[in-house]
Amino acid sequence: MIPLLETDALVKDYMIGGEILHAVNGVSLAIQRGEFVAIMGASGSGKSTFMNMIGCLDTPTSGTLRLDGIDTNSLSSDELADIRNRKIGFVFQQFNLLPRTSALDNVAVPLIYAGAGRAERQQRARAKLEAMGLGDRLENSPAKLSGGQQQRVAIARALVTEPLMLLADEPTGALDTQTSNDIMGIFQALNAAGITVVLVTHEPDIADYAERRILFRDGKVIEDEPVKNRRSPAS
Amino acid sequence: MIARLWRSLAGWGINVAIALTALRVNLMRSILTTLGVMIGVFSVILAVAIGAGAQVSVTESIGALGANMAIVVPEPDSDGPRRTTDRGRLTERDIKAIAKQVPGITATAPQLRTRVQLVAAGRNTTTEVIGATPDYAIVSNVNTDEGRFIEQGDANASSRIAVLGQTVATRLFGSYDPVGETVRINRVPFRIVGLLESKGSSFGNDNDDLVIVPLGTLRQRLLDTPAQGPDDIHIAFVGFDDEPSLIAGQNEIKKILRDRYRVAKGKINPFTVRTTTEIAEVTGEATQIFQALLVAIASISLLVGGIGIMNIMLVSVTERTREIGLRMALGAKRADIRNQFLVEAAVLCVIGGGVGLALAKVAALAFVAYADFPAPIGFGVAVGAILFSAVIGLAFGGWPAIRASRLSPIEALRSE
Repeated sequence: MIPLLETDALVKDYMIGGEILHAVNGVSLAIQRGEFVAIMGASGSGKSTFMNMIGCLDTPTSGTLRLDGIDTNSLSSDELADIRNRKIGFVFQQFNLLPRTSALDNVAVPLIYAGAGRAERQQRARAKLEAMGLGDRLENSPAKLSGGQQQRVAIARALVTEPLMLLADEPTGALDTQTSNDIMGIFQALNAAGITVVLVTHEPDIADYAERRILFRDGKVIEDEPVKNRRSPAS
Repeated sequence: MIARLWRSLAGWGINVAIALTALRVNLMRSILTTLGVMIGVFSVILAVAIGAGAQVSVTESIGALGANMAIVVPEPDSDGPRRTTDRGRLTERDIKAIAKQVPGITATAPQLRTRVQLVAAGRNTTTEVIGATPDYAIVSNVNTDEGRFIEQGDANASSRIAVLGQTVATRLFGSYDPVGETVRINRVPFRIVGLLESKGSSFGNDNDDLVIVPLGTLRQRLLDTPAQGPDDIHIAFVGFDDEPSLIAGQNEIKKILRDRYRVAKGKINPFTVRTTTEIAEVTGEATQIFQALLVAIASISLLVGGIGIMNIMLVSVTERTREIGLRMALGAKRADIRNQFLVEAAVLCVIGGGVGLALAKVAALAFVAYADFPAPIGFGVAVGAILFSAVIGLAFGGWPAIRASRLSPIEALRSE
């Protein structure tokens, strides 16, 4: 079976003050379906740039990126938008929910771009929110939800198009420890149910929820190994 | 094909929903922004309506003069300096000759006119008295509300009878019916036999501020400076069957008068013949220029409103860069983002245009009610205004919308 994600000599350069900065400098790795991977590294290590590329938000300078067997270099911006919509679910540090918009409508946004009808959008968004234990918060706007609840709405939104992969960028960065553990438990449960999870974090505790840890430094992968003593929310 | 069209329409419907949500979320700003377009559409529509009203009132004014009518006066037909010696003489015999020789004439109305003082029931007023023949009623299209007009018997006998215009009657008698009363015109007692139907005003002149007496009576009893000849007149109206015979008749009348008074070729004709068609054309042109000017001025406010929309859309795009990035991450294509902002601008403009239209309608009704000035807003103008508002939105919202759609998803997401 082909890997879900495969990069080959992936490079991303930036021009800063007339000098070339190799933000990602030749990364070749594969992520299999059903894996739970934590990408770690200090700020400036290239982990965020790498994540943006595998999320199809940014395009590589050179090298190839295959997502579900598709070479993304050959895709137009509309086709990339389609891949983001159907194959990837994003979870952000600051939740990025639309303000003054109900949880239900927030979760339904990706379905708008998938071309789903109103009734279908409502029904699917409701199902995902109920699965996140927010069945009684459907009409609440983000301001009326706690941080943990907001992040659960964001996870529901990431899942609503039934993507192959969840991409979580510091998903616990704005949450307290207890809530962070709850959220990581949700990711573990989702992963156990079959979805691939790629987590970007700089906190070793959080990375320990994953089963594989990839460490970035200066645009390169310097460590790639299974997590010993994997955590679960109870521990 | 139909399925694709439906999908694209449904897509736009979603954009309208997104736009309405965004506008509701920033309600105050939306209202202030749309105010510019509202005022713009309001002024343009009102300008169109006032212009159209001016045309209606001009048409009515000309109708009040009498349709298909030539006006003959013994004034030199020249735009240059006029000397009194250039004035011609005009007599009842001239008019009779014209009536006999020119085809298509329905009736003629030779007149003498002078200003007089009227006294009745202890009140007095000054007005213009017209000495007229019974046919004046036909040519000038006048009717009486009460009593009767001058009849042939009155003309033959040079009776001292008078027909009053509404304004004069009100000044002298209030709401009291004047028919059968006596009015002293320059101290000469006249019996009032009729009250004219109101004709409103034309070009600022009150068409009801007059009194009509038989032509002979005026000549004998009311003229300060005696006429040069026994049948001299000041002015004559010549009514025609229709417009073509009027246009042909105008030159015929000029020719007959030149012949009768042996005006040499190349000399200024001492008579002027104007037609209601000419008057309508000239005033019609003037009102069209007036309307165009009004609309041009009003359009400036609409332009300013449009720039306001562009300004606020640029602010909105900047403010919501992160939202744009998020939507792109969630799968929005460039066209989705562009359409979202386009629709937002168009919705703002259409709402502004609709409210502006409604306000213009209210103002137009107020014009009719308080200024007695017609300001019609046609269905076409109303629909046009709404469509034009949408076009303004698309035109001025276009650049901000395209800017939004060209943002890179990752940079947009990173922005604070």
